[in-house]
Amino acid sequence: MLPTGIHFESYAAETRVLKTRRSRVWLAILVAALLVAPFFAGAYLTGIASEMFITLMAVYGLYITVGMAGQINIAQSAFVGVGAFAAAKLSGYGVPVFLVIPLAALCTGCVSVLFALPASRVKGLYLALTTLAAQAMFPIVIYALPPGWLGGLAGMPVEPLTVFGLDLGSPARLYYFTLAIVAVLTVSVFRIQHSRFGRAMIAVRDNDVAAEVMGIPVFKVKVMSFFVGSLFAGIAGACMAYVLQFVTASSFTLFASVWYLGMLIVGGLHSPLGAILGVLFITIVQESLHKVANTLMQLGAGGGGTLFALTSIILGGCILIALIFEPRGLAHRWAVLRKAFQIWPFPRS
Amino acid sequence: MIKLIQILIEGALVGLVYGLVAISFVVIYRASRIVNLAQGEVLVIGALLLWTFTAGMKAAGWEVPLIISLAMTLAACIAFGLILERFVFRPLISQPAFAIFMASVALLIMLRGTAQLLWTAETRAFPVILPEGAFQLGPFLISTPLALGGLFSVLLAIGLHAFFTRTRQGLRLAAVAEDHRTAMSLGVSVRSAIATAWILGTVVATAAAIVLLSGRVVSLEVAHIGFKALPVALLGGLESIRGAPLAGILIGVGEALAMAYLDPLTNGAASGLLPYLVMITVLLVQPQGLFGWKRIERL
Repeated sequence: MLPTGIHFESYAAETRVLKTRRSRVWLAILVAALLVAPFFAGAYLTGIASEMFITLMAVYGLYITVGMAGQINIAQSAFVGVGAFAAAKLSGYGVPVFLVIPLAALCTGCVSVLFALPASRVKGLYLALTTLAAQAMFPIVIYALPPGWLGGLAGMPVEPLTVFGLDLGSPARLYYFTLAIVAVLTVSVFRIQHSRFGRAMIAVRDNDVAAEVMGIPVFKVKVMSFFVGSLFAGIAGACMAYVLQFVTASSFTLFASVWYLGMLIVGGLHSPLGAILGVLFITIVQESLHKVANTLMQLGAGGGGTLFALTSIILGGCILIALIFEPRGLAHRWAVLRKAFQIWPFPRS
Repeated sequence: MIKLIQILIEGALVGLVYGLVAISFVVIYRASRIVNLAQGEVLVIGALLLWTFTAGMKAAGWEVPLIISLAMTLAACIAFGLILERFVFRPLISQPAFAIFMASVALLIMLRGTAQLLWTAETRAFPVILPEGAFQLGPFLISTPLALGGLFSVLLAIGLHAFFTRTRQGLRLAAVAEDHRTAMSLGVSVRSAIATAWILGTVVATAAAIVLLSGRVVSLEVAHIGFKALPVALLGGLESIRGAPLAGILIGVGEALAMAYLDPLTNGAASGLLPYLVMITVLLVQPQGLFGWKRIERL
């Protein structure tokens, strides 16, 4: 909903994401805050923020596949893994970073298309099961390949990140690197919604039989949604490889995939804002749990296992609560709050 | 030749265990239209409950006969099924399939966390319930617990099939599997159907745990069997109970052959990949599986 007196004279103005001057000012403030944050936050918080940006990239991809096109994907973590291994392998050959990231993304996209092909025959749940197969097959394949190719059981080291001879090893520099990429991806994900492809995906999500009748190539749109979603996953994987400096198949589990999906559901499936809010919310919950668990461990109660168990229970609980009580997620709550603020002192309709 | 037949027999028996786990998938789907990804976790919870009522209680100083332990496990399974129905799936009745699927994914994480919190991640010895050992049949050696388990899963499949196609209660469940809203409008209680589905599902999963784990060790890793049984359930058809043991035999034999002849060539990957490759092939060629229902879509 818009404040009184705002109207548009062109279609381009109407599709703009930031419709008023005030919202543009807020965005500028947010960007400025993100830019100066590393000067005030310690290395620990900066590290968490870059990790959060990488997660956000993967969740954006999931938003395209699951939120916009309505195709369930429970292999996002495996796709992130494909991107990470591709980046590790390419950086080993001495390829510069601005080629590694697009190539890793492309690799991931091509792999995901293989698993989207059953979309020609099946839909919904059954398609989700093929992505489950992708997730289950990923470690088996990595472990079985000769160790010289992708590191096998031991994993693979990644060359340090350098851009034009500048070493980006420190937490603050990695923060700016991931921030720059996530900014580009945020703009593109907000723009995709209003593109022809984005509208086609939304039509397929809402009713794919009707979309087919209207002349939308449903199969192509479904496969493309997987491809684009995995491009994002591949970029996330490449960034993760650079940040962690080491990749092993054991860090890309079904659990990580479920975490990504959980973040999207808690935040809200139907807007990119949902992805942002979900990642932010779950990261905060996770980090505060770590804090609590650390304090408990210092007092001599519980251990790492209890912490893992508690995080699982709380994440599962968050997803269930979101599904049962607020399927539209935090993004909807945010919209309600904003509207109430805008029309105050009148009651909400 | 004898080696080949021995491999086939062992593969078929292991496959029947997969079939038993697949039956617990199918029972839940057939009665409530829920694909439960958390079935492996349900199996582990069933196994841990049984461990608690046998070895756990023995360690605490209350030893009870096996029959009573089994009865207590059964009661606990029923309570577990009812809790899941009341707090997770009742609020989601007639929601889109996506929400129900995601609920089962959330359940997967939650159950794993709960199992780890209550029983910790250590491995424990599972009580011996089926007779140990093996018997000789001609030149072939057959493991007794697996043979008994295979027999049990075939009988169970026949019995459950009769229940779902011959009895009034079973036909009601079939209506719920067709569509929640239509079933409700015809006066079928979806709530009781989902409760029945989960009770049957947990009980069958616990039975599968007994066959699979009798005399071995139980740990949280056992839950992987759930993902192995999913391709079996799909191959047989998600609505077909009799299809599950048959598909189990097919996948079990295929896996045993791959393990014997292809694994040395592929560094051990062939037998692991086979079930999933079968699953993708089934989805591409005949999505409803061997005996599943074919759905027609209308605008």
